[in-house]
Amino acid sequence: MSEGCAAGVLVAGIGNPDRGDDGFGPAVARRLRERLPSGICVVERAGDILALIGDWEGFAHVVMVDAVKAMGEPGRIHRFDLRKCGLPIGFAYRSTHGFGVAEAVELARSLGRLPRHLVLYLVEGACFEIGVPLSPAVAHAVGEAAARIVEELASRSAAETEEGERA
Amino acid sequence: MATRTIRVDYIARVEGESALDLHIRDGKVDAAHLAIFEPPRFFEALLRGRGFREVLDIVARICGICPIAYQMSGVHAIEQVLGVAVEPPIRALRRLLYCGEWIESHALHIVMLHAPDFLGYPDAITMAREHGAAVERGLALKKAGNALLRLLGGREIHPVNVRVGGFYRAPARAELAALVDTLKAAQDQAIATLRWAAGFEFPECRRDYEFVALRHAQDYPMNEGRIVSTAGLDIAAADYETEFLERQVPHSTALHSALKRRGAYLVGPLARYALNRDRLPAEVQALADEVGLEPVCCNPYRSILVRAVEVVYACGEALRLIVDYEPPSRPFVPVAPRAGTGHACSEAPRGILYHRYRLDAEGTILDARHVPPTAQNQGVIEADLRQTAAARLDLDEDELKAACEQSIRNHDPCISCAAHFLTLRVHRG
Repeated sequence: MSEGCAAGVLVAGIGNPDRGDDGFGPAVARRLRERLPSGICVVERAGDILALIGDWEGFAHVVMVDAVKAMGEPGRIHRFDLRKCGLPIGFAYRSTHGFGVAEAVELARSLGRLPRHLVLYLVEGACFEIGVPLSPAVAHAVGEAAARIVEELASRSAAETEEGERA
Repeated sequence: MATRTIRVDYIARVEGESALDLHIRDGKVDAAHLAIFEPPRFFEALLRGRGFREVLDIVARICGICPIAYQMSGVHAIEQVLGVAVEPPIRALRRLLYCGEWIESHALHIVMLHAPDFLGYPDAITMAREHGAAVERGLALKKAGNALLRLLGGREIHPVNVRVGGFYRAPARAELAALVDTLKAAQDQAIATLRWAAGFEFPECRRDYEFVALRHAQDYPMNEGRIVSTAGLDIAAADYETEFLERQVPHSTALHSALKRRGAYLVGPLARYALNRDRLPAEVQALADEVGLEPVCCNPYRSILVRAVEVVYACGEALRLIVDYEPPSRPFVPVAPRAGTGHACSEAPRGILYHRYRLDAEGTILDARHVPPTAQNQGVIEADLRQTAAARLDLDEDELKAACEQSIRNHDPCISCAAHFLTLRVHRG
């Protein structure tokens, strides 16, 4: 965990901004930088998905944001609690050498290296062409995803404060 | 006449998309086709008309695993045209950058992709439950390699810091010194990985390959050297196209390479090691001896050991380069365009990568040619498949498919680079 990330919370926007809706994760990360309190670490990751396991080190709460292929409703946001279960079949996808987010999560689970809380927000994409912007429905979902993550982290923070006060 | 067809529609744990078709007739393997269906990517064509300064950023996009290889073969070919000679510290930094790529690429293949074959797991995720320490070592090695790419390349994927004449920015000594502890730890992890892999059971197999690799006067080859082979070939990169040809085959979007006079040949770790073992430091040779690795290894299954030896070497070489590093007087030398043709070969993790560029007087690319290692190895991969399948025809479909996939993974093919990759279809009866 790097300095300046004292809250123990990491938000990782995953995807390639130059490939249409694959840029959803980084777009949400950029939006969150403006809205999340300092101390919460926000990163963008486009390349080595296995390196995510290293990114999580030292963080108790990790939120990942990514896009998934078109499944019938572009812009629809799915939330998964990956501590409870792996990604359902149909949502798992792969990148170079067959390692995608699902594989990185399952590898970390095998190694006992999952963070205490691990949540994945996935948006259904429409177009992953090189050099095109986010499709309208996915661009519209950036604000919704950012708002849900802000709310989730705020309620987590409130719950922890309450827990601390009770203690 | 009895015919049996076996097809693997998508070969796992390789880079890119490919299929395998086995045609078995009357108990004999009729044909084994590695069908690469990754779409053609037309990089050579899209370079035409671009300025020479654009080439390195474009070719870095060809592969997410071995972008440095593309940048190194590219930069050397273009510098040859322009008559550029770089300072020794730039040469050292390029070699250090290549060490990073060898470490991350080999570590990924050894631990995450190839080891599960020997230990009987479907994938690294399942393997990690019982071999957690080995997988952790693999991840740590990959991270160390990536750290070198990030510092010297600007970022680990599609690096941006290499330029014709040198680098856009050369690191300070302190920046490199900060990686010493990581690389010392990586060296220990690499040795542990080699000893771990040496404990695997390897199928009996001896193949009569013609090995082709670079050979340099002093160094284990990365960026420089003549193209040599175990059958006596000894040529400069500029003569590559007089000795080697590429041809189209109907079942693959990748071109197949061959030696014009002798046909299929093998590039990569087995070839490099067979032709350059004497260029490894004595302590690395001693480690190879300790794990029982023969000086010329003709068993493709044991390529995992050679890769592991090369990771040990690359960690040590990186440390040596960092200790010896004196920053260059300037990060790059000025370059001026001129017309001509340049050729270069460098040793990508998977073997020699040949580049040729023809430039006009303004430095515009008139044409470009790339011959990646996987394209060169396709003939051997198919020959290996025929032998693997022929010896295992009594196996059921799933076992035969698994054996064929392992045979392919012995050569760590990078299909995206070659498509110019795997699905197994067995046709038998």
